[in-house]
Amino acid sequence: MKYLIEKFGKINTSVLFLCIIFLILELIGHRYGETSIEDILFFPAFFGYLSCIIIFKIGVSLRSFLMKDEDYYDK
Amino acid sequence: MISSFPPGFIMIIGALLIPFLPHIIRQIYMMILILVSAYALTLGFGIHSKIEIMDIQFIIFQSDSLTLPFAIIFHIAAILNVIYGAHEKNWNQHVAIMSYSGAAIAAVHAGDLFTLFVWWEATAFTSVFLILASKTKRSYRSAFRYILIQVGSGMFLLAGAILLMSDTGNAEFRSFDINSLDGQLIFIAFGIKAAFPLLNGWLQDSYPEASEIGTVALSTFTTKLAIFCFAKSFAGTEILIIIGAIMTFYPIFFAVIENDLRRVLTYSLNNQLGFMIVAIGIGTELAINGAVAHAFAHILYKGLLFMGMGAVLYRVGTCKASELGGLFKFMPITAICTIIGAISISAFPLFSGFVAKSLIMSALGKEGLVFVYFMLLFASAGVLHHSGIKIPFFAFFAHESSIKTKEAPINMIIAMIIGSALCILIGVFPSYFYAILPYQIQYQPYDFSHVVGQLQLLTFAAFAFICLWHFKIYPPELNSTVLNSDWIYRKMIPGVLLPLLNLINDINKKVEQFFEFIFKSMKRFFADTMIKNKVFDREVGQDTLIVVQLFIILLIFIFVWKIYL
Repeated sequence: MKYLIEKFGKINTSVLFLCIIFLILELIGHRYGETSIEDILFFPAFFGYLSCIIIFKIGVSLRSFLMKDEDYYDK
Repeated sequence: MISSFPPGFIMIIGALLIPFLPHIIRQIYMMILILVSAYALTLGFGIHSKIEIMDIQFIIFQSDSLTLPFAIIFHIAAILNVIYGAHEKNWNQHVAIMSYSGAAIAAVHAGDLFTLFVWWEATAFTSVFLILASKTKRSYRSAFRYILIQVGSGMFLLAGAILLMSDTGNAEFRSFDINSLDGQLIFIAFGIKAAFPLLNGWLQDSYPEASEIGTVALSTFTTKLAIFCFAKSFAGTEILIIIGAIMTFYPIFFAVIENDLRRVLTYSLNNQLGFMIVAIGIGTELAINGAVAHAFAHILYKGLLFMGMGAVLYRVGTCKASELGGLFKFMPITAICTIIGAISISAFPLFSGFVAKSLIMSALGKEGLVFVYFMLLFASAGVLHHSGIKIPFFAFFAHESSIKTKEAPINMIIAMIIGSALCILIGVFPSYFYAILPYQIQYQPYDFSHVVGQLQLLTFAAFAFICLWHFKIYPPELNSTVLNSDWIYRKMIPGVLLPLLNLINDINKKVEQFFEFIFKSMKRFFADTMIKNKVFDREVGQDTLIVVQLFIILLIFIFVWKIYL
């Protein structure tokens, strides 16, 4: 635990623990979604994690052609 | 007397006195104006005031279950704006904000398209001063583009209203058919103000150029007025589902790479408008309630986020993520309020975003629109990324910057605390919030599935960001300009048009030169012929006389032909 906090930071470790708690909650109660796909175990967790990574990846790849100099319009 | 004028009208007229009042009295006076305006909301539903000019009836004050929630939140936002801007001693922005808020409130109560048009344009002309208030070269240029586009939107509305009037004999502000030409013109007018895809450039161009007070006001009224208009006139129009889904989706990527945090918020605004547009497109009672609830909640939490960034701009002079960081120790209250706004927009349970967004997601699920549902779910993770984490993280934490500053002025703090309290109260007591929505429905946002599902989605999305940052995969923020749809009229059209105009100019010159040459040659030829043949001499040859006579006959023939045939 101490090692984790040292390596990963206090806030980051707290978020990690929250993630685990919310996964355990799903095992305790019955969670269902608005659509049948969402009924898959831990679906929102996977979806949230993957979405964030995909958004980041696409965002970074867009940098090469959407990002211009700060004075681009003033030239 | 009070029922003769629409709510908001007193604010516009009252704003004329603001320049003559001393600083603090001015703020109290503005508060009184807003409260007097709000009193008109107690008159109940129905048509309260109409006038007739040249046989045309103008319904200037009507209210119903849709106008009420918008009128309430517009008045609350106007009060928050007055408190937030209380440190500003110059009267210019106060006049602009008061008349801008008043025009938006009056527009909501318009019962016909011509009255709506008047207030529609009034919001444009009053709000442009908030962009000009920055007094920079960029803001002047941006304000010019802003007013052109806003007035352009008004022209579409006017054209639609005139066409409708000529077709049906009245221009009542009601539900319209997207398949008719008048309906399409009105749809485009609303679409420009709602920042539809490719029509959204003005939003990201102008709002971040406004003053710190101005952006808070701008984020409240213009786009939400468009949402109100869509809810009133195009509820259930299916194309809105597609347009809204695109709106939720694509601004996320722009927000991720944008460096200016106020501009990030404008992309986020665009994305949130998408949720509302999708709900209006669905058009069921649950969905319309969702759209209105989302607009209501959004005004509060987006206003709160803009207030937080405005406070940072006011104290530090910049809102660029690359230059900010570590401000939490200097501005802790601002930081906490901004975090509350960020949690609300991310739709964490017990905050306003959750109780509003749940309505829309449930409406989508009930209608079986699975693909759009997942697009919006994906966009929800994106909202957490750019507004929930990026805004507070890069402004108040991230890396230590050399900036040393102090907490925001007390009036800004009061406005932010009220905004934060409202975000939490709506989240904790949703039943009171749902009671003011257009349709009375039974809906319970806090069930086990909703709460656990949402918490899993958000915490794991946050964890993904933490991993990216911790393992140094997340690239540093850079000073840059991110190209948006305004590039079309700022770079592409001038880039294509200017060479084209130059080419036309060159061709024109060449053609002119050619004809000049022809005329000169003809002139020289005839002159030579006349002089050489001594046409004007007393003694002329017979051949010359024949030429002259033939020429005169030809002239007479043309003259007769022109007149009689």
